[in-house]
Amino acid sequence: MSLTTSKAANAGLHGIIAASLLRYGLILALMVVFAIFSAITPTFLTLSNLQSILVNNFTLLAIISIAMTFAVASGGIDLSVGTVMDFSSFAFVSLVLAGQPVAIAALAGLAAGALVGAFNALLISVIGVSPFLATLGTLFIGRSVQQLLTNGGNPVYLPPNGVPDFFRFIGHGTLAGFPVPLAIAIIITMAAAVVFARTRFGRVALSIGIQPSVVRYSGIAAPAYTAATFVLVGLIAAVGGLILTATVTVYIPSSGNAFLLNAIGATFIGTTLSPLGRPNVGGTALGVLLLSIVANGLLLTDLNFYWQQVGTGALILVVLALSFMNRKTSGGA
Amino acid sequence: MSAEAEFAPSRFSSVERSDRPAGNITAAALRFGSLIAFTAILIVFSITAPYFLSVVNIGNVLGQSAISGVLAIGLTIVLIAGGSNVVTGGIDLSLAANMGLSAAVYASLTQLGYGDVAAITASILTGSLIGLVNAIAVVYAGIVPLLATLAVMNIVSGLELVLTGNTVIPASTPCLSALSASDAFGIPILAYVLIGFTVFATAIVQYTPLGLRLYAVGEFPDAARAAGLPLRRLLAGAFIASGVCGGLSGILSVSYLSGSTTGSGEMLLPVVVTALLGSVFSRRLVPTITGTLLSALLVGFLGNGFQLLNILSTLVSGVQGLLILIVVSATTLLRRQEA
Repeated sequence: MSLTTSKAANAGLHGIIAASLLRYGLILALMVVFAIFSAITPTFLTLSNLQSILVNNFTLLAIISIAMTFAVASGGIDLSVGTVMDFSSFAFVSLVLAGQPVAIAALAGLAAGALVGAFNALLISVIGVSPFLATLGTLFIGRSVQQLLTNGGNPVYLPPNGVPDFFRFIGHGTLAGFPVPLAIAIIITMAAAVVFARTRFGRVALSIGIQPSVVRYSGIAAPAYTAATFVLVGLIAAVGGLILTATVTVYIPSSGNAFLLNAIGATFIGTTLSPLGRPNVGGTALGVLLLSIVANGLLLTDLNFYWQQVGTGALILVVLALSFMNRKTSGGA
Repeated sequence: MSAEAEFAPSRFSSVERSDRPAGNITAAALRFGSLIAFTAILIVFSITAPYFLSVVNIGNVLGQSAISGVLAIGLTIVLIAGGSNVVTGGIDLSLAANMGLSAAVYASLTQLGYGDVAAITASILTGSLIGLVNAIAVVYAGIVPLLATLAVMNIVSGLELVLTGNTVIPASTPCLSALSASDAFGIPILAYVLIGFTVFATAIVQYTPLGLRLYAVGEFPDAARAAGLPLRRLLAGAFIASGVCGGLSGILSVSYLSGSTTGSGEMLLPVVVTALLGSVFSRRLVPTITGTLLSALLVGFLGNGFQLLNILSTLVSGVQGLLILIVVSATTLLRRQEA
């Protein structure tokens, strides 16, 4: 929006103080929220609850938000991450039910996710549709296809004795006391951080998000990188879909969309950590942590369940407002 | 479609790009192509489903499209004033939730014994308040509309759940019965409401200086600022207008469904599609109120035709998705050809 031009010129010292306050506002918000819930609910600050926050709230959202971070960092957005989760889950469950080995089924799940990503990439890089519209279209079509595949939206259950042990291990197992799904989420997060900081692919993707024309003039095949980014988004989200399936051992059509809003929220909350208001992996992870703590904490209070949605929405709005005001005062993006 | 010819003097198009006959031809081809496609769909349905072309059925489609049509017109106003870039430009994702909350407010108030006037006022007030929150978040806090309205959508649908407890609240008042009735020819009153509202919105957006300013703010913000237009106020006004549309469609939905119902969020994507598709029905491929009406009717007729032909209703969402992709791909490719 060119309406919100920077007022940095005459912001002065006040501006600097305000900007740094806003910049570390996310960490401050985390501490405040943590302190409040510790104070008002007796069960929040217990080891088992903290672990539950990480396993039940953090893990899946972190994976999907990392996927979203790649899309947003490269200057786009992916509204079809939930669709990707659904398709990878469906491919996995159907192949397991058809008697295929788990490894094959899991590979097919990942391939299904990459395929949805490739469809987005085709629309965005080859045809030139804006990522928002392209992935919105994918979201719509995906919903229809899933209903067709499931006779109007019926869940597909894995039989209780048909769930392979290894798969159960991914969903519920522990390695030396450490929950496996959480470990996968942490590995993906760290790998994403390395990709952005240390690889050519990551740096080009970030540059496309900041200055696409400069990337083009540098002779880099920007569309190819954008396409690869969206396929990668599909792959990462597919991992999320597989973990979800491993946890609940059922495929429910269009269930992945529940993560969409929070993943977008976490990614943009995370941009507050960057001085230029850019998406970054560390910020996204903290954003996911903030949303997870709020979701868990509100559940422990006696508040009406429906108020929790209002509270989460209001919190996202406030953090977003701080984030974008930060951007204005620091003159970035 | 003389509407846009009125508002778009030639100097505007020459700012965008020099007049190229080839570009005009392709744009015209797309526009007429979309009209031809619309007509073709109507013809196919009327041949395969005999009941399709009856006055009653067409009236029904118009009536059923009233709720989404009014919402899509609200979204169109935001699209016009916010600019065509979908991520950083104008969009209002809170509209469907807005409709749900406004409907819930209406139904709750009638349950408490308040009359129509109080309930109508409260619904429209609810809608405009939501629009005001969007306006503050977008214009004064500077949040990208896509994200601001996404967060507001969550808050609003949460408030609706708090108010209704996720149940259906029945409502029946003289005003609601009058709205949901049909006239002597079997045409629903809601159909007239849609037509009337479209005429009203078209008059303001396409034929007044205010409307021209909205287009200027959206498409050429720098030029608009240089010309001394109050950009912030105009954009804020667009979001509030969209909120009012949400409140209005809340009232329509209470009358259509005889109460407030859950699941208003399902309306969001069809409404976004309707508003985005609308620009194909305009001469310069920009959002217009009349274009949005045509696209609302297209979406309505598609759903209705599918129903009459007994085609799975689950396909409708997929067809809408395909429609967006085809239309947007076609426009993008054409624009690239022109550039």
